Amino acid sequence: MRDEAAVSPLMKAIAILALVVLLLPVAIVVLAGLNAGEYLTFPPQGLSLRWVWAFLSSPTFMGAYLYSFVLALVTTLISTALGTLASIYLSRSRGRAAAALRGFFMLPIVLPGVVLGLALYVFYVSTDIGLARSFPGLLIGHVLVTFPFVVATVTASMVGFDLSLEEAARSLGASPWTAFRKITLRLIAPGISAGSIFAFIISFGQFETTLFLTVPNHEPLPMAMYISLRYKFEPTAAAAGIFAIALVALSTVVSARLVSLRRVFRA
Amino acid sequence: MSDIRLVNLTKSYGEGNAVSDVNLQIGEGEFFSLLGPSGCGKSTTLRMIAGFIRPTSGQILVGRDDITALPPEKRDIGIVFQNYAIFPHMNVAENIAFGLKLRKLPKAEIARRVTESLKQVGLAGYDERYQRQLSGGEQQRVALARVLVTEPRILLLDEPLSALDKGLREEMKFWIKDLQKKLRITTIYVTHDQDEALTMSDRIGVMSKSRVVQVGTPQEIYERPKTLFVTSFIGHSNVLDVRVLRAEEGSALVSLAGQELRTRNGGGLSPGAAAKLVVRPENILMGSALGPTDARLEASVISEIYQGALVRYRLKVGDQEIVAERQNQAHVERFPPGAEVTIGWDPEWSEALVA
Repeated sequence: MRDEAAVSPLMKAIAILALVVLLLPVAIVVLAGLNAGEYLTFPPQGLSLRWVWAFLSSPTFMGAYLYSFVLALVTTLISTALGTLASIYLSRSRGRAAAALRGFFMLPIVLPGVVLGLALYVFYVSTDIGLARSFPGLLIGHVLVTFPFVVATVTASMVGFDLSLEEAARSLGASPWTAFRKITLRLIAPGISAGSIFAFIISFGQFETTLFLTVPNHEPLPMAMYISLRYKFEPTAAAAGIFAIALVALSTVVSARLVSLRRVFRA
Repeated sequence: MSDIRLVNLTKSYGEGNAVSDVNLQIGEGEFFSLLGPSGCGKSTTLRMIAGFIRPTSGQILVGRDDITALPPEKRDIGIVFQNYAIFPHMNVAENIAFGLKLRKLPKAEIARRVTESLKQVGLAGYDERYQRQLSGGEQQRVALARVLVTEPRILLLDEPLSALDKGLREEMKFWIKDLQKKLRITTIYVTHDQDEALTMSDRIGVMSKSRVVQVGTPQEIYERPKTLFVTSFIGHSNVLDVRVLRAEEGSALVSLAGQELRTRNGGGLSPGAAAKLVVRPENILMGSALGPTDARLEASVISEIYQGALVRYRLKVGDQEIVAERQNQAHVERFPPGAEVTIGWDPEWSEALVA
């Protein structure tokens, strides 16, 4: 199973380089947020917690942070539930309808977020169903964007799931719901957790689609950071970034503790 | 425990039938095998009995109850799958307790019955193990224990030995049969392996192309196959082209390469028509071994194949080839290639079937 020894030094070097390139901007944001100077610069002019305090005491940023948190949480709940149901259907049905649906469910990943946001906005406004620039309207957008990630991870965990396990439970006396709850759900739980982490992270950082759907005066964090940077080039946005990174890292660690992520990716 | 009856059981998918008009009555405590090649409908039949597939028409009756429309969990029928389907997230004790917990038995009672059933299948002390720590044979015992602990009315076994290696398969064959006998539980066993069916069953139903083509004891199935399919599927047989000279009730006179032979009549023969004569290699006698009432043929030896306990002859009669097997016992007559020899068999041990 394990063939770590087969990884050549060259591959290791490339991997480390890629990791550095990916993590460098994160490090820069963190350092910029700890800047002592007046403006968002790098390298920072001395270190201080000045902008961190500014973030924590700013009603705009803290409000945005909480708003994003709640939005991501609700999005995750809905996306995970819908995505899991869809995955079960997709993994158990054969034929063209299922294949077509699989492609359809994945569309939001392929579509540029801007296009999806614009499309939803035009739809909301032209139909006048009261969703334009409302929380439910924004929530729908986020569910659409995150749903494919849940479907992808849960479907992956359903591959190789042995249906006779469920049948065995049924013939031992379990109703369909009990068999699903006690057998299937337990076995695909790692996939569902991984999917929900993705949903949370993506929703929390979602920008392009959100752009068209935000409720006036209730900007999610990415929007708030963008707006703040447009008008004043303050390091508060970078400090907010630190907290966003912390939250995402925390949610990943917590979920990984709850279920071993390894099992998902091994499957 | 109960008897079970299948009445005109049919399952069709689109154009074709997976199972056509199956009628079977399986007695209380009987070990009944459904034997057939893959795709013959035996598994579909089993899954209809278990309740996983809804029949297109027909009925399934257990005792006096019509269970045709019941969901699997209301049938009280236990099933052991080919891959055993041990719940991987539960240990052995939890697996076995699964059905008992659903029946809301008191905890102490569950614990007692789990221990008892582990002892019964020879896995005492395996409570804490998980599926990945069990060998194939052990998984099978757990699967059986998990089913039997709920005391189902019927036990279904779906090719339970096919995933095991050969030595273990032999051992489990007898172990399962003994356990079944001891518990006297009505059992339906699905297999494509004739050895398993012949050694374990009280009766066998041979299936081919969605139909049950013959039902009988292992001896009847082996010695009196009613169709060419059964003949060729179970054991080895010589199937020879003959012409019917006379057909009577139970027996017939046929000609093979100009020589006349008496044989049993498998039914449906008409004088003058072509037919197939079926005779097993071990029933062919050669030379001085022939008795006065045996059917006789003149043949020539093509080759002699020495196999230790057996000697196998390839023989030629007219333009047809016949295989004969002889026990390699003391004083047995041997025939070199090229030799002309009189061969034959007891007419009761050959069967003429409609071609």
